[in-house]
Amino acid sequence: MGKDLFRYEGVAPVLAGLTFFTIIQAVLIILQAKWLAMAITGLFNGGAVDAAAADMALFFAALTGRYFIHFLKQKIVERYSEKTSNALRQKVLAKLFSLGPRLAQKEGTGKLVTLIIEGTGQFRTYLDLFLPKMINMLIIPVSIWLFIVWSDRTSGVILAVTLPVLLIFMVLLGFVARKKADSQWEGYQRLAGHFTDSLRGLQTLTYLGRARSHSQQIERVSEDYRKSTMSTLKVAFLSSFALDFFTMLSVATVAVFLGLGLIDGDMTLLPALTILILAPEYFLPVRELGTDYHATLNGQEAGRAMQAILAIEEAKAEQPVFLERWSADDELVVSNVHAASLKNISFSIKGHQKIGIIGASGAGKSTLIDVLGGFLGLDAGTISINGQEAAHLQKDAWQNLLTYIPQHPYTFSGTLADNIRFYKPDATDEDVLKAADQAGLSSLKALVHETIGEGGRQLSGGQMQRIAVARALLSDRPIVLLDEPTAHLDLETEAALKETMLPLFEDRLVFFATHRLHWMQEMDVVIVLERGHIAEMGTHEELSKKGGMYTAFVQAAQGDAHELAYSIHERA
Amino acid sequence: MNWLIPYMKEHKRLLAVVVFLGSLTIFAASALLFSSGYLISKAASRPENLLMIYVPIVMVRTFGIMRSVSRYLDRLTSHSLILTIVSRMRVRLYEALRPQTARFKTGDALSLFADDIEHLQDVYIKLIFPWLSALLLYIVSIAALGYFSVPFALVMGLYFFVFTVLVPLVSLLVTKAKQTRQKEQRAAQYSQLADAVMGLGDWIFSGRQRSFIDSYERREEEWTKIEAFKRSFTRGRDFALQLLIGTAVVAMMIWAGGQSTSGQIAPVLIAAFTLVLFPITEAFLPLSSAAESWSGWSHSLNRLDAVEQGKSQQAKTASPAASSSAAIALQDVSFSYNEQAPIFDHFHMAIEHGEKVAILGPSGSGKSTLMQLAFGLIAPQNGVVLINGYEPDDDISREIAVLNQQPYLFNTTVMNNVRLAKPNASDQEVMEAVKKVHLHDYIQALPNGYHTMMQEAGARFSGGERQRIALARVLLQQTPIVILDEPTIGLDPITERQLMDTVFEVLHGNTIVWITHHLAGMEKMDRIVFLEEGKIQMDGPPAELFAANTRYKRLYELDYGLMS
Repeated sequence: MGKDLFRYEGVAPVLAGLTFFTIIQAVLIILQAKWLAMAITGLFNGGAVDAAAADMALFFAALTGRYFIHFLKQKIVERYSEKTSNALRQKVLAKLFSLGPRLAQKEGTGKLVTLIIEGTGQFRTYLDLFLPKMINMLIIPVSIWLFIVWSDRTSGVILAVTLPVLLIFMVLLGFVARKKADSQWEGYQRLAGHFTDSLRGLQTLTYLGRARSHSQQIERVSEDYRKSTMSTLKVAFLSSFALDFFTMLSVATVAVFLGLGLIDGDMTLLPALTILILAPEYFLPVRELGTDYHATLNGQEAGRAMQAILAIEEAKAEQPVFLERWSADDELVVSNVHAASLKNISFSIKGHQKIGIIGASGAGKSTLIDVLGGFLGLDAGTISINGQEAAHLQKDAWQNLLTYIPQHPYTFSGTLADNIRFYKPDATDEDVLKAADQAGLSSLKALVHETIGEGGRQLSGGQMQRIAVARALLSDRPIVLLDEPTAHLDLETEAALKETMLPLFEDRLVFFATHRLHWMQEMDVVIVLERGHIAEMGTHEELSKKGGMYTAFVQAAQGDAHELAYSIHERA
Repeated sequence: MNWLIPYMKEHKRLLAVVVFLGSLTIFAASALLFSSGYLISKAASRPENLLMIYVPIVMVRTFGIMRSVSRYLDRLTSHSLILTIVSRMRVRLYEALRPQTARFKTGDALSLFADDIEHLQDVYIKLIFPWLSALLLYIVSIAALGYFSVPFALVMGLYFFVFTVLVPLVSLLVTKAKQTRQKEQRAAQYSQLADAVMGLGDWIFSGRQRSFIDSYERREEEWTKIEAFKRSFTRGRDFALQLLIGTAVVAMMIWAGGQSTSGQIAPVLIAAFTLVLFPITEAFLPLSSAAESWSGWSHSLNRLDAVEQGKSQQAKTASPAASSSAAIALQDVSFSYNEQAPIFDHFHMAIEHGEKVAILGPSGSGKSTLMQLAFGLIAPQNGVVLINGYEPDDDISREIAVLNQQPYLFNTTVMNNVRLAKPNASDQEVMEAVKKVHLHDYIQALPNGYHTMMQEAGARFSGGERQRIALARVLLQQTPIVILDEPTIGLDPITERQLMDTVFEVLHGNTIVWITHHLAGMEKMDRIVFLEEGKIQMDGPPAELFAANTRYKRLYELDYGLMS
C-alpha cells in the first residue's frame, strides 16, 4: 500500500515534519497517561483533591499539547494534500489539452470529467488520511511499547505477542473476505448495477410494456443483493471483529496480570494504572489504519488513474513546420500513412481544394480528420507540408490555420458575441456582427450580448452550426475541418445551412467528412474510405461513372427512390 | 423527510435492535475500562486472597468479549436493515419515475436518482443510527451517575449535551451555507469542464488552451478556499472538543476524589469513574462530523421529494366521449409544455389500419410529441387521442411498439434482452425473431452465443446491430401498430438502407408510423405527413406530393441532389 506515494513531489519534508511531531506526540501521550495515573493514585491513597491538583493540571497540559500537535499535523498534511492534489489536477488538465479529443472519445467525457473533479478530491482524502496514519503506526506503538516494557516486562511481552497475532489474523481474514467477494464479484456488479440499469432503460421498458411488472423485478434483485451482500459482510466484518477481539482480550489480559502483580506486591498502583491507560493507545494506530480503508483505496485508485494519463506518450517533439498561411501554391502530401484504424493512406493536395470524405460508420472518416487535425500521430508513413516531412500534424503552425466544425460545435456559457469571437478574442463587435450576418444569424443579431447555453438562451442545432460558421468566417483561417456537421439536422435546416456554408469554402482548404452525400457535388475530390483504406478517390463525376463503392453509397441513399422518380417522370 | 422517517417507523423493531446494539457496544467498552480500573485499584488495596478480585477479572473478560461481539452484530444488523430499506426505496423511486419518463430526455438523467438513494444510506449509517445509540447511552449513563449524585449527573448531562446536540448543531449551521455554495460551484465546474472536454479540438485550434485552464483554476481556487475554511473549522472544533473531554475528566476526578474523601464512594472507584469517560466521549465525537454532511444529504432528499410531487401532477383529466375506427386518431388535440408555446393547438389527424405513414418535419415541429401522445406518455390538455378506438392506457404496449433512436440494451444476456418484449417467449421464438432481423448468425458466432452478456457484446454491437436487436423485440411484441421514431439517425446510408429494408420486410400488415427528418425510403410509404409548428403542411402519397407539391419536390431535390 502506498508505494507510489513517494513519487509525489515534496513528500519527504512533510514526512520528516510529521515524524518529528509524532515523536513529540508519543511522548505527550505517555506523559498524559502518567499524570492522569498520578492524579488518580494520589486520590486513591486518600490524598485531598487539592494535593492532586498539580497532577491534574499537568495531565490537562499534556492532553492539550497532544491534541495541539494533532492539530498542527493535520494542518501540515492538509496544506500538502491541497497543494499536491491541485498540482496533479493542473497537470492532468494540461495533458488533456495537449493530447486532444481522442482520449476523451476513448475514455468518455463523463469519466474524464469525474476523474478530474471527484478524483482530485478522493486523491486528496487519501493523502489526508494515509500520511499521518502511516507515521502514527510506525512511531506511536513502538514508543508506548518501549515505555511499558521499561515499567513492566510482563505487560510488554503480552502486548508484543498480541500485535503480530492480531495483524496476521487481520490479513488472513481480509484475504478470505476478499476471495469471497472476488468470487461473487461479477454477480455483485450485475446486482448492484441493476437499479441504475433499470432507470437508464426505463423508456425502453415503457415501450415494451414491461415498466409496470419490472418493479417486482427490482424488488427481487434488491433482495438477492441484500442476501448475497450480507453473506459477504459476515466474513468481511470478521476481520475488524478479530481486531477488536484481540485488542480487547489483550487489554483485559494485561489488566488481569497487572492485578495479580499488585496483589503479590511486585508492583504499585501508579505504573499499573499508567500501563492500563496506555494499552488501548498502543493499539489505536493499528485500528485507525483499518477504518476509512475504502476511502484511501478510492483515492489511491484515482491517483493511479491520473498518473496513467500523465504517462501517455505525447506526440514526439519534432522540427516545427514553417508555414505562414495556406495559399494556392502550398502542398500537403500524405504518403503510406498508417494510424489507428487507417491503413496505407496516400493522397496529395495542392492549394485550395475541397475534399469530401465518405464511408460506412467505422471506415475511418473521423480518424482521418483526427490525423489531419493533429490529434493522432502516425504509426507509419509521413505527411509532408511543402516538402517538410512530419510524423504528425500536432504543430502550432498547422493547427493555428485550422477551424473545426463537428456535429456538435463547442459553445460555452457566455455571450453569443464571445462565442463567435472564440478563435479571435480581440475581434471588435462590428466584425462579430458582420460574421454573424454572413453566417445567417441575423435573426439573433439583437441578442449578441445575451448569454447562451447553461442558464441562458438555448440554441437549436442549426443555430449552433451557424455559430461555428460565424466563428470560422471571423477567424479567417484558411483550412476548415468538418466532421458530420449536419447529420442531426432536418433537411430544410441543412439546406439553409448549406447556403451559408458554401461561401466559407471559397478559397479555403476544406476537409469534409459526412454521410450526407449531396455535399459531394460541391467537393473537388471525394475520398471513399472502406475499412481504413482508400477504396476510391476522384471527383463526383468520375466516381459516379465508375460504378464502384461510391455508386453503391449513392444507390443505398436513394434506393428505389430512383425508380420511383423515374416512374413519376414518365407518368408526368 | 418523507424519505427517511417512514422507513424507521416501518422497521421499528429492527431499528430498536440496531440502536440497542450500538449503545451496547459503547457500554461494553466503557464497562471494560470501568472494571479494569476497579480491578487494578482493588488489587492495589492488597486484598487477602485472589478470590476478592475474581469477579472484576471475569467482568473485564466478559466486557472485552461483549464489546467486540456486539459491535460485530451491530454492524451486521445495521447493514441488513439499511439494505432492506434501500430495496424499498428503490421500488418507490422507480414507481415515482415510471409515469414521468417523457420528462427526462436521457436515460442518464434518470440514472442520477440512483445516486441519491445511495446517499441516503449514509444518512442512516453515519448519522441516524450512531446518534440514536449515543442518545440512548447518554440517558442511561446520566441516570446511572444520578444514582450517586444528582448535581454531578446534571453537570455531566450538560457536558454530554454539548457533545451530542450542541456541537453537531453548530457544525451543521456553520457549514450549511458553505456546503450549498460548494455544491453550486461544483455543478458549474462540471458543466464548464464537460463542455470544454467536448470542445477540446476547438480549444487546441484556437491556441488558447492556457486561458481555459486559467479560468477553470480560478473557479477551483474559490472552491478550495471554502474547503479550507471548512477544514479549519473542523480542525478547531475537534481540538476544542478534546479539551472539553480533558476538563470533563478533570471534573470527574475532582468529584470522585471529593466523594471518596467524604466516604460516599469507595476509593477503588475513582479510577473506574475517571477511565469510563474516554470510551463514552469517543463515541460522541463522530456525531459532529456527520452533522456537517447533512446539507449534502438534504439535497438528495429534496430531489427525491420533487420527483414524487411530479408524479402526483400527472393526473389525467376526464376526456369527452369520442369514437373512431382509425388505428390512431387525434381529435381536437391541444398540448403544450408551457403556456407560451403550444406544440399542438386543436390538432386533428387520423391514421388508418395497415397504413404506412411517414411523419416529416424539422426538429421542434411536434413529431416526437405526437408519438408520446399516441403512447400515452403524455396526456393532451384538450381533445382526445384514440388508439383503435380507445384511449391509451397501461396496456398500450399491446397495441403499439416503438423503435426509437437509442434502444436501451440491458446488462443481461442477449437472449433475455430480446425476450424482454415477451417474457413467456420460448428460446425458439426468440431465435425466430432474431433470424428474421438477420442477426442470428452473428449472435451464434459470439463466444457464448445467445447467452453472451450484453456488457461484453454491447461494445461489439454497432448502431445498426443494436437497432436490429430492438427490432427483434418489436417483432416479439406482435402489435398491430409500430412507431419508428428516427431509428436511423447516425447510421451511414448503406447501414440505414439495410436496416430499413429489414424493417419493411418483417413488418408487413402492420400499421407503420415512421418519424424521420429526411426522405430516404419515402417511396415505401403510403402517405407522407409534413408537420411544421404543430400543423400539417402537406399530406398525401409520395408520388402525388412529388408531382404536385413544390415544397416537397424541393426537399426531395435537396436530399437527392445527386440525381440529375
